[in-house]
Amino acid sequence: MIRTTEQTTLPEPVVHFKPRRRRAPRESTVLTLNLAPMVDVVFLLLIFFIATTTFKRAEGILPSRLPKQSGLADQLAPPITPIVIDLRQTGPGPTDYAIRVERFVNTPTTFNELAAFLMDVQANPGFDDETPIVIRAANDVLWDHVVGCWNAAVRAKYKSISFGLQ
Amino acid sequence: MFNMAPMIDVVFLLIIFFVLVSTFASAERLPMELPQPDASQAQNLKLTDRVIINIQLADPADPDRSDVIYNFGPSRVDSLAEISSRLALHARLVPDLKVVIRADRRVRYGDVREVMQAVAEQGIEKMNIVAHVGDLGPEQ
Repeated sequence: MIRTTEQTTLPEPVVHFKPRRRRAPRESTVLTLNLAPMVDVVFLLLIFFIATTTFKRAEGILPSRLPKQSGLADQLAPPITPIVIDLRQTGPGPTDYAIRVERFVNTPTTFNELAAFLMDVQANPGFDDETPIVIRAANDVLWDHVVGCWNAAVRAKYKSISFGLQ
Repeated sequence: MFNMAPMIDVVFLLIIFFVLVSTFASAERLPMELPQPDASQAQNLKLTDRVIINIQLADPADPDRSDVIYNFGPSRVDSLAEISSRLALHARLVPDLKVVIRADRRVRYGDVREVMQAVAEQGIEKMNIVAHVGDLGPEQ
C-alpha cells in the first residue's frame, strides 16, 4: 500500500489537555526568635557591671550635735558633772592608745571594755543615760580611736556625747 | 545545634547579681579607709540637706600623717578658711544644714577637730561622723 504525502503530513490532533501541575510544596515558615542581638546586649551589660563593680563595706553615720553658736563642748558649762574620757596616743602603732575616765579608778583599756564600763556606771547613783559624756582626745590620737570611743558611748546608750579639748 | 538556653540563664543570673550589689561611686564619697569601731552603731541613714567634708591623708605612707587633704563635697579646698566660707554660704541657703564628716581612720584627731570647730562656728548643730557599719570580722 502506497501512502500519500497528505496522509503522512496530517497534523496530529491537538489535544487541549494540560497535565495537572503538581503544586510545589509550600515552604514551611517556622517563627524563630533571633537571640543574637539580645545576647550581645546582655554580654555588654555583664561586662559593664563586672568592670565597674567594686565591693566594699557599707558605711553608716554616727549622728551627733554640736553646741549652737560656739566651739566645742568644753566651752559650755554643763549643768551635770559629765563623765570625761581622756584619750591619748601612746605610740605610733594603730593599737597604741590609752583610755582614762576621770574620777574613776578602774578604767578600761579597750573600747569594748569602755562600753561595758560605761553601762556599769549607769547603775551608780547620780548617773544615768542622760549623764553627759565628754571625749577629750589629744590632737595626735588617731581618728579611728576617737570614733571607737564615741561608738562605745553610743553602745552604752548615752544620749549626750560631745567632744572636748585637752 | 548549640543550645544557648543554659548560657543565657547563667548570664541573666550574673547580671541580676551585679545589678543588685552594685553601688555607684559618688564623687562626694572619696575612697579612703573609714573608721571601723567594734560593734559599730553607725546607721545607714539617707540624709537630705547635707554637705560632706572629706578628710584624707595626703600621703598614707607618711608615718607622721601630718598632711591632710580637705574636700568640700567633690571639690578640693585648700584651707579651713575656705571650708568656713563655703559652710557659711550653704548655711544661709539651707537653714537645717547637716554636715557629714568623712575622715580617714588614720588621720590625727587634731585635723578633724579643726573642721568640727569650723562647723560649730557657723552655728551648724547637726554633725555626723561616718564609720563602717557592722563588725569587720577577722582580718582578711
